[in-house]
Amino acid sequence: MEQEVIESEMILPTHLRFKKVQMHEKYPKGQARGRHWKHLKQIIQAENYQNYPADEPNYVNIESPPSMHPRKQICDITGFEAPYSDPRTHLRYANTEVFKVIRSLPNEYVQRYLALRNAAVVLK
Amino acid sequence: MAPPISELAFGVDVAFSYKYNQQLGICNGNGLAVCSGFTTSHVIPFINGEPVYEACCRTNVGGYHVTDYLKQLLSLKYPHHMQRLTWEKVEDLKMEHCYITQDYASEVRLFQKGTKEAEEKTRCWQLPWTPTPVEEPPSEEEIARKAALKERQGQRLREMAEAKRSSKINELENELKGLEFLIQQLRHVNENDIPAFLAETGYVSKQEIESAIIKTSQSLRKAKGEQDEIEEKPEISNSEKYTLIDIPDNMLTPEQVKEKKRQLFLKTTSEGRQRAKQKRFEEELERERRNKEDEQRRLENPELYMEQLRVKYKDLSEKVEQRKRLKTNGNENNNVSGGVGRGERLNAAQKERMRLLTTAAFDRGKGEDTFGIKDEDWQLYKKMSKDNDDEDEGPNEDEAELARVASKLREIDPSFFPKSDASSSGTEPSRFHPLTKEDFQILIGVERFRCPEILFHPNLIGIEQVGLDEMAGVSIQRLQPKSQSLEESNSLTNSILITGGSCLFPGISERLEAGIRMIRPSGTPIRVLIASDAVFDAWLGAASFASTMHFQRQVFNKTDYYEKGEDWLRRYQLKCMSLARHGRRKTGFGTSTKGSNWNWNRNRNHKNIRI
Repeated sequence: MEQEVIESEMILPTHLRFKKVQMHEKYPKGQARGRHWKHLKQIIQAENYQNYPADEPNYVNIESPPSMHPRKQICDITGFEAPYSDPRTHLRYANTEVFKVIRSLPNEYVQRYLALRNAAVVLK
Repeated sequence: MAPPISELAFGVDVAFSYKYNQQLGICNGNGLAVCSGFTTSHVIPFINGEPVYEACCRTNVGGYHVTDYLKQLLSLKYPHHMQRLTWEKVEDLKMEHCYITQDYASEVRLFQKGTKEAEEKTRCWQLPWTPTPVEEPPSEEEIARKAALKERQGQRLREMAEAKRSSKINELENELKGLEFLIQQLRHVNENDIPAFLAETGYVSKQEIESAIIKTSQSLRKAKGEQDEIEEKPEISNSEKYTLIDIPDNMLTPEQVKEKKRQLFLKTTSEGRQRAKQKRFEEELERERRNKEDEQRRLENPELYMEQLRVKYKDLSEKVEQRKRLKTNGNENNNVSGGVGRGERLNAAQKERMRLLTTAAFDRGKGEDTFGIKDEDWQLYKKMSKDNDDEDEGPNEDEAELARVASKLREIDPSFFPKSDASSSGTEPSRFHPLTKEDFQILIGVERFRCPEILFHPNLIGIEQVGLDEMAGVSIQRLQPKSQSLEESNSLTNSILITGGSCLFPGISERLEAGIRMIRPSGTPIRVLIASDAVFDAWLGAASFASTMHFQRQVFNKTDYYEKGEDWLRRYQLKCMSLARHGRRKTGFGTSTKGSNWNWNRNRNHKNIRI
């Protein structure tokens, strides 16, 4: 059985009485990949939303637009208002003490802080 | 035997939730449903009790993001306790402690100033911690016992050493006696019989016996602890030792020349040693003298002296620091690029070398090659070679002086604390002092309202979409072309229902009201209502819908599926969604939970229908 199915046994009982064909009969143990579980991105892509009329609401076009308000800049470490930004690490900081902390941070932590606001350098 | 499920219907949880609350009389027919779920947040306007999906909007921020943000922030703040910060625990922390502020900027300023109010708002999570047992100083009795034991052991060792020594002395004396006896006997023996006589004893000649006597007596003296003066001897015989040195080479045989060379070498080394000894002695004297002077000055005016020393220490340490800095990143001014690249890790000399190498590498074929015309050109290779690094300078004079001053200061000034030690202990204090209660605390201050703030400002976590308050505005705006009347939009804002798990943060309704008031024209009536059961009312709404009479007409059954196929199903839902809020028939286990809102996708339907 697939990993997902095994894990889902926590919520799904193995034997469902209303089913004519039980899960374990359909996908016996050892048989590879009976069913593919798609994730959201795949489903959206398969749906071809661009082919649907634009005035009809669907998953893609109900997304909200970017904000019109001036964006808030907060210190990445402390959460205070951040007037400054460090050119080396690209982290925003509130004052000199935080700056000292930033400069002593190892690169891994800098990247994790940046990843929090989706600004980390992603190597592909 | 459970009945087989032959029909089903799909619905939007926000709609169920709104209808359920409308049934309870909490919200009106016209209104806005603001739902903040686990992974997404939705706003759906309702007109005459029907959702208007054309005007709804979704932002991909929800409770999941709040928890994740909190988890990441805390584990970055407390890397040592990362294991403690499990998802479940952080979710608990979020539910128990997070709140939404009316104004983020002013609230955070409280914390920045470190006011008492902020201190009260900071929550502390004390992790389980057992203090390391303090070692009790051993009692007097214990000390005495240990000392006695040690003394006994020492005594035994001493006795053993003494016994060994006396036995050795005894042995040596016996040997000496034997040898002397041998010599005496030799005197009586005939000159010709000596070899035969000695053959029995193992010695070859009389001289050998004599030298053996000397050796034995020397070691005997040593064993008895007498001072032997052998060390002095070679120095006395200096002139005899190096007999060949003053004789010119051409008067000597080849062996003698070799010998002469050896002697020369020996002489120079020993002289060098002598000189070094002399120098050390002089330095010692000099230091003594300086110390004495210092002492005198200190006695004359202790405070002035200390002050002078401090100033000197400061100057020197600055000087040394600067030199170090220069060495590690040469010309800081040129380094505007600010990258954490390779360049910054090299010191000045290494950088210069890299520069030379790169220019040499890329210089080919650029104009005329004039390299080598001038002699200086060849110096380049010298600079390039690695040996040229002045790494092995060793501690220079300043550093030595600094160490001296520091040691002096440490002696006389109790408040003195060497700088380098201070800086190194400052970065890792945990290594030096034992862990205290405070090291096992997780403080949650700003995080308490920083994390839920992302619901209103998703750009804080890099999601470029509007927050909850603006979403309401967007939704009303999307509705505008359909209904122009101001009254209608006023009636919308007069009944804003917030539902979904993430609306349980304290302060959310006030904040949402303030946010929407900023967007809407002044004088607009705004009423924010909290759902009766924010987490389960979608399910309750679906259940109550499924039990109504007209539910039978809304369902989709197996025949429909075989007749019309899955595409039809999708269109059916979009068209009929506003007419009906569906539920699963005879549901024992629920409809969608909060968050998985638009569960109308084809795949999902497919799966369910195949049942």
